[in-house]
Amino acid sequence: MKKLLVLALFCFSVLFLTTPAMSYDTLKIGAPQPMTGSDAPFGAKFKKAYDLAVEEINQAGGINGVKIAVVIEDHQAKNPLAATVTEKLINQYKVLVLTGGRASGQAVEIASVAQRLKTPYVVDHPSADIITSKGFEWIFRNNPTGTIYPQAFNKFISETPGALPKSAAVVYDNTVFGKSIANSAMAFLKSKNVKIVNDEAYPVNTLDFKPIMTKVKANNPDYLLMVAVSTTDAILLTRHAKEMGVSPRAFVGFGGGFGVADFATELRKLSDNVFSSAAWSGNPNDPKTKAFYQKFEKKYGFHPKEHEVEGYAIVYIIADAMKRTKFTGNLEKDRDLLRQSLLKTDMTTVFGKVKFGNWKGPLGDKYTNQNIYSPDHSVLAQWRDGKLLNVYPKANAEVKAVFPDPSTKK
Amino acid sequence: METLVQSLVSGILTGSLYAMIGVGLTIIFGVMRIINMAHGDMVMLGMYSSFWALTLWNIDPFVSIVFWVPVAFLIGMLTYRFLLKKIVPAGELNTLLYTAGLSLFVSNLALLVWTGDYRTIKLDYAVMPLRPFGIAVPIPLAIAFGMAILITALLYWFLVKTDTGRAIRATSQEPMAAALMGVNAAQMEMLTFGLGTALACGAGVLLAPSLYLYPTVGEILVAKCFVIVVLGGLGSVQGAIAGGLLLGVVESLGAVYVSVPYKDAIGFVIFLLVLLFRPSGLFGVGKS
Repeated sequence: MKKLLVLALFCFSVLFLTTPAMSYDTLKIGAPQPMTGSDAPFGAKFKKAYDLAVEEINQAGGINGVKIAVVIEDHQAKNPLAATVTEKLINQYKVLVLTGGRASGQAVEIASVAQRLKTPYVVDHPSADIITSKGFEWIFRNNPTGTIYPQAFNKFISETPGALPKSAAVVYDNTVFGKSIANSAMAFLKSKNVKIVNDEAYPVNTLDFKPIMTKVKANNPDYLLMVAVSTTDAILLTRHAKEMGVSPRAFVGFGGGFGVADFATELRKLSDNVFSSAAWSGNPNDPKTKAFYQKFEKKYGFHPKEHEVEGYAIVYIIADAMKRTKFTGNLEKDRDLLRQSLLKTDMTTVFGKVKFGNWKGPLGDKYTNQNIYSPDHSVLAQWRDGKLLNVYPKANAEVKAVFPDPSTKK
Repeated sequence: METLVQSLVSGILTGSLYAMIGVGLTIIFGVMRIINMAHGDMVMLGMYSSFWALTLWNIDPFVSIVFWVPVAFLIGMLTYRFLLKKIVPAGELNTLLYTAGLSLFVSNLALLVWTGDYRTIKLDYAVMPLRPFGIAVPIPLAIAFGMAILITALLYWFLVKTDTGRAIRATSQEPMAAALMGVNAAQMEMLTFGLGTALACGAGVLLAPSLYLYPTVGEILVAKCFVIVVLGGLGSVQGAIAGGLLLGVVESLGAVYVSVPYKDAIGFVIFLLVLLFRPSGLFGVGKS
């Protein structure tokens, strides 16, 4: 009798342990972000965007009744640390899926770890082509790749009469991001027979750009193209270019540094009419995106740009895939199921349309799980009186471009 | 031609500030044989002082230097008296390790208190540079240049012409003999450490409007400092001035005519060459 009881108890416990239960009390999304250090302002932007999206989704009932949460870990904008915190998120915090990363250098590390530990990583902002061109099937990306960033600028110079540069100076940081954007821009300019008079790489967080700008000024370029992943570099590049008296028809910036509010608050009138060709922040003429802008501004007191829109959109993309996934309670299996749901994503967010697919980029990179609508998601904007306004393509322009730059007399 | 003149001008402007930092380091070494690894962090503190004076009290950096330099002088003397004095007799290696520890402590404390955010100083009059003869001269750097020259000249006059200055130099040349002649060596040492710290902090205040500041900026500066001081000859004030200007010009020309990523490397190549042919530096006194 006693034996029978033990057996029954044993059977019961086995049965209990293996019961396929929807045992997640929250569905966790891991996000390595720079919360301290030089890139901390970006980490803060993404946190705000994630928080707003998570709050909305949970208020609307979560994912079939289960709440979601974004777990942020600080990587201090350091590549090796990004790999470490990613492992921590996957193994210790047991997140289902990853996003974030902020800069390409860190995202490359996160992608390698995610691929190795078989966890989906849905990239929201890092843009180096290599992240989705290594053939990693666990990596997805909603935002356009770096080589797509200059597309709006390319269209502008080829379609606007008289705008084609006679010569161009290209100054870029020697990061994965800087090099891929500079190569993409230069490849296009060369195809249009534009002479590249300067091809200058600099290390991130250079304190003094006066020597480079002295060199650039000597060649008197028709356009000055600057690539900066770091805000301080973008600010100093522009300041030192203008101080040294470089006078092109247009100052064009590529990369995060040229698109953030700090750029204008630090440079003030020196920021006027500087172009920024980058990922867009959604179509400002689309009513849904407009409504999001207003909601965000009401909550946080500032106008959302590229980073906030991307961060907010990515949570919705992941939530959409989660809703379509039948979770088993087995973490490893669920990560794969979620990956398969992501493959079937086909929706519109405040950032624009999204559908992941395999295709070829502008420089011939073979993309895996890259948003197929990315080529439409690049925009040329211009700083006006402290505001960054879209100027090209016309479909999502807010104002007309000021060109050539009136501050430089030829 | 214009490019050459422009890079020379930029180089000399930056070089003057390097020289000021270098002089502070070299007098400290000359008198006490302290290899002060925390010198760059004193510059960093100077930069933050200048930043806070502007943001909290709205005092122009070039005005705030008037009170920051005496404050730094006092802090320097106190640092020497209470933190360094006991360790000096233990030898150069010990002071090197000790000041390296001090440097880590100061920069990490700054990181804790002021966070790692990059900050810049915005001055209304500093937006566009002067352009004499088409050469761009940024206004904050020009003012800093003028003040650096003034301060360095004053210090030089002090060391050469005044009794206290002579006593400091005597202590630097031969502490034992100076003590026998009635020089209070302990007092001179404290005074010198104060002076060195004041120079570093003053240079920081002057540099802040031209650079951006963050707690570990001292690391970059201290490496440059040692190049300057060894280039000129450890312990030599003229040497530090010459070394500072030389490094400024070499970096500026190197960045323009060779390549920006190599600009620091070029500085170090010059450094190695000078040491190879003049082991005790350009103005070295060849003392062990």
